[in-house]
Amino acid sequence: MLKEKIKSTVSSLLENKQVDFVIGYGAGSDAGTVRPTFVKAVEEVQELIWSPFAVNNLAKYVMDHLYENIKIGVIVKGCDSRSVVRLVQDKVFPRENFYVIGVPCKGILDKNKVARDFDLSGEFVDFVEQGDNVVVKTTKGDITIPREKYLMDKCYRCETPTPVVYDVLLGEEIAPFRRDNYEDVKNLESLSVEEKSKYWDKQFEKCIRCYACRNVCSACNCRDCVFDMAEPNWVGKAANLSENTAFHLIRAWHVAGRCVDCGECSRVCPMGIPVNTLNRKLIKDMKELFSVETPGKNPEQGAVLGSFRTDDPEEFM
Amino acid sequence: MKRLFEFIGFEPGRFHARWISGSEAQKVVETAKKVTEEVRALGPNKKMRDDRC
Repeated sequence: MLKEKIKSTVSSLLENKQVDFVIGYGAGSDAGTVRPTFVKAVEEVQELIWSPFAVNNLAKYVMDHLYENIKIGVIVKGCDSRSVVRLVQDKVFPRENFYVIGVPCKGILDKNKVARDFDLSGEFVDFVEQGDNVVVKTTKGDITIPREKYLMDKCYRCETPTPVVYDVLLGEEIAPFRRDNYEDVKNLESLSVEEKSKYWDKQFEKCIRCYACRNVCSACNCRDCVFDMAEPNWVGKAANLSENTAFHLIRAWHVAGRCVDCGECSRVCPMGIPVNTLNRKLIKDMKELFSVETPGKNPEQGAVLGSFRTDDPEEFM
Repeated sequence: MKRLFEFIGFEPGRFHARWISGSEAQKVVETAKKVTEEVRALGPNKKMRDDRC
């Protein structure tokens, strides 16, 4: 059982003082929710769970400990492991201070999709995989969920089911079995100028400027964020269409080349704005222009927009 | 940047980016003319026009 493996791994890490604490998943308020959990002592290990809803990218939380000489264990899925690579490449958090506990993942269930058809209001007890189904045991009974129908959108295009970097891998390696063809971006690109404008105006109009997309982002690691500054007032604080458009364009650009496409920004948006699609557009363009991989996917590849090759395209000449 | 602007619904031709050296006076003139012509043909910009408070 993966849950048992996680617990024994974390216990031995803490016992041997290989890490100061471990960031993992704990049970949330209902069966479809997990809670980032920080385990500092062996007695707290039983709080850790593994769930088919373990969606959060936990790598972000090391940023609360940037200048401490501290070793942190982090449980990562394939997508989250790209964040680890990028944080190390940007020298935000040194690799030797990470202890990466990798978990191969066939896809995370989308709580919102599942909640439409099943009752998730009970507390999470456990889960088992039965072929293509996931049986989630809750305090209000068992739910059998056909995995392929209820995955997060990002999981249908996952190219890294196995973490790209880890110190220990819990479970069998899973070979990549899906491809990302940027269907969502292409569909929007094919619209007319007016349709595109209308679509995004409708999205940006909803924004309440809560900055959850920024706060959750593992690429957003500036100490002073441009959106918090009052002097100079780079972007207006008013939540109107113009300022919101400026905010979303700037946010997308500030993480361009560093965004690992983990999809957390879209997930946490309380207004349902497809924030991540802007970043996916930039990643698609970068791939076409510079023949690179998604940032963080290949640890050998440096910063896409921070390096220069003489054969780079020069459309602006 | 041009690509992202066009992705959210700015017209192609609304934004131009050119790398021009200080010694390329002719290129500055040509570029300025081209930008003016293209933007004039598009008419006034309608996006991001809310008043700044």
